[in-house]
Amino acid sequence: MALFGGKTAGFREAKGDLRIVEVTKSFGDFTAVDDLSLVVPRGSFFALLGPSGCGKTTTLRMVAGLEEATHGRIFIGDTDLTGSRPYERPVNTVFQSYALFPHLTVRDNVAFGPKRRGLANATTLADEALDLVQLPHLADRKPAQLSGGQQQRVAVARALVNRPEVLLLDEPLGALDLKLRRQMQVELKRIQTEVGLTFIHVTHDQEEAMTMADTVAVMNHGRIEQMGAPEALYDLPLTAFVANFVGQSNLGMGRIIDSDGDHYVADVQGTRVSIPKARCQVSSGDVLFGVRPEKVKIAVSRAEAGRNDIPATVVDVSFTGVATQYLVRVPSGATWSVYEQNLDIDPIDLHPGDEAWLSWKPGHAFGVPVDESAIKVATDAPTTTPTVAVGPVTASSQGPMAGADPR
Amino acid sequence: MSALAHVAGGAGGGTDQAPTERGRSWLPYLLLLPGFLWLAIFFVFPMIQLFTVSLQSQFPGYPGYYYRDVNFHNYLDAFTQFAPHFGRSLLFAGLATFFAFCLAYPLAYAMAFKAGRWRNVMMILVIAPFFTSFILRTIAWRQILADEGPVASTLNALHLLPGGRITETWVAVVAGLTYNFLPFMVLPIYASLERADARVIEAGGDLYANGFTTFRTVTLPMSMPGVLAGTLLTFIPAAGDYVNADLLGSDRSTKMVGNVIESQFFKVPGGFPVAASLSFTLMALILVLVFVYIRRFGTEELL
Repeated sequence: MALFGGKTAGFREAKGDLRIVEVTKSFGDFTAVDDLSLVVPRGSFFALLGPSGCGKTTTLRMVAGLEEATHGRIFIGDTDLTGSRPYERPVNTVFQSYALFPHLTVRDNVAFGPKRRGLANATTLADEALDLVQLPHLADRKPAQLSGGQQQRVAVARALVNRPEVLLLDEPLGALDLKLRRQMQVELKRIQTEVGLTFIHVTHDQEEAMTMADTVAVMNHGRIEQMGAPEALYDLPLTAFVANFVGQSNLGMGRIIDSDGDHYVADVQGTRVSIPKARCQVSSGDVLFGVRPEKVKIAVSRAEAGRNDIPATVVDVSFTGVATQYLVRVPSGATWSVYEQNLDIDPIDLHPGDEAWLSWKPGHAFGVPVDESAIKVATDAPTTTPTVAVGPVTASSQGPMAGADPR
Repeated sequence: MSALAHVAGGAGGGTDQAPTERGRSWLPYLLLLPGFLWLAIFFVFPMIQLFTVSLQSQFPGYPGYYYRDVNFHNYLDAFTQFAPHFGRSLLFAGLATFFAFCLAYPLAYAMAFKAGRWRNVMMILVIAPFFTSFILRTIAWRQILADEGPVASTLNALHLLPGGRITETWVAVVAGLTYNFLPFMVLPIYASLERADARVIEAGGDLYANGFTTFRTVTLPMSMPGVLAGTLLTFIPAAGDYVNADLLGSDRSTKMVGNVIESQFFKVPGGFPVAASLSFTLMALILVLVFVYIRRFGTEELL
């Protein structure tokens, strides 16, 4: 921060979509963000999802102007913001640690932005913003007198009060406990709908990203692996990393050996499986086969025709009320997981040690390019199923929600 | 088995609990005792002693001999006679505090935010003077500022020194005070800046404040606890200092209260009661000023 900046804040009005064009950010030898291009439509709730160190926070800080891009340009609408100072940008940030001014009251914290922009009604605007986050009764307190959740709301109000063209949220819920986090997810979504601003939410929690955002971009090693609606990302991962990072996947290393109409036939550790061509990212050679745990049915006897199946041994059964999670060992020695909703009147009579059959509709299968490092990254995280084998593997999502029911 | 557990539990409870309870009630007092004793012997007792001295009267006709009395006239005499010295002490201390602040803040700011890997080196440089005696360093300043010394001769050559010399003037005394108490200003300010969350300062920029406005509205207020501590740590000892005025100033125009107390105690026959009452008056003045200052600039969170 320069001790003596320019006298007048050269505030830039800009309206429109946020466009990040071929942006690279290097810190010495380390490339945090690698040739990233991205368009965030105006008024959308956009999530940048990825493990720590993937470049998502750096991307956010470049949009805010707190970091300077090494290459590339950042636009809002047609206004080029590259190289402008943070205080010149119509962008505000909700910091991970909230970064409230400790010497100011809650009201003065929120009024800080409007006051700097010389608005006469700064205090009125601040009170309105505090109404929006439902904290008007705490306006005269100092930040130190608030709970974590309340500080978080103040941080949101302090950014929102400026009606920025883009609001940046840097893991804003990371420090909150689970219940409060769920509550704030709903709250933030409500506020976004109410004010209609562009929200960019950075998080490593895939569940949080999927619950809140219209569009999720999954980042890894400074690049976007896949971008799309949460449903699309979950239903059809395009890379091994996304298959592992967004939700859980039962994976198996195999080879494409045949083509049958609109399906490829692959050999996965001696089991023949079908993958729809539209859902397979490779057309020949090695493939990483995957199917989501809730798409797999478990049964005592072999299923009817029209489904792919493999035999398995039950390792663990956990009853969660709405569903039952089975951990099973497949012939290759890896562990798969299976979610069964408890819909039947007679529960499935399976116990650890029992032999069972797993089956799934071929339409639910997907195939992604083999990427050992991505499988490893995702499976190194603490999971309920730590087994990784050359054959079919199960990998679960990272983050604090690891192991939770993805539905 | 259960009997054994019972016996063991009972014995454990019996031997464990009693000592901890006794320890709990005695330990704080025991820990405070050395400090209390120290303060009682070396602070409270001499203060009472000094106070009784300040009220003594002289035996008429026997300079240097006193009798126990309750003579508040000493205070009136001391204050009226040495009012200019009191004024000078407070003024010089105030100036030194101001200049030390002006020098220390940028230095502390640079150390906290800009120094990078040089931070520790700078910290050592700030503390290093303490390895040499205070008196020696002040004598060194006398040589630096001396009439034939580099500073005075350069300024004289440029005709920028109206009186022709620096030593024996208030400039030298204030410069000496500023120099000697600078670390006491730098360290608390540095500590408060260093503790400040960089994100909070970034938030200022994010919320439309340019560099200077962020400094004025965020960084400076956040470092106020350090500024308050630094100014007090500089002003209070500077107001009572006599070494700088003695070594760098003149006998006539730059004497501070400290010098008067020193000479009344050690050089003027019969000066004890006056010196003692001067000491108490100075203490009272500083207490009042500090109290007003803290009420004005300090809030409960800042202290």
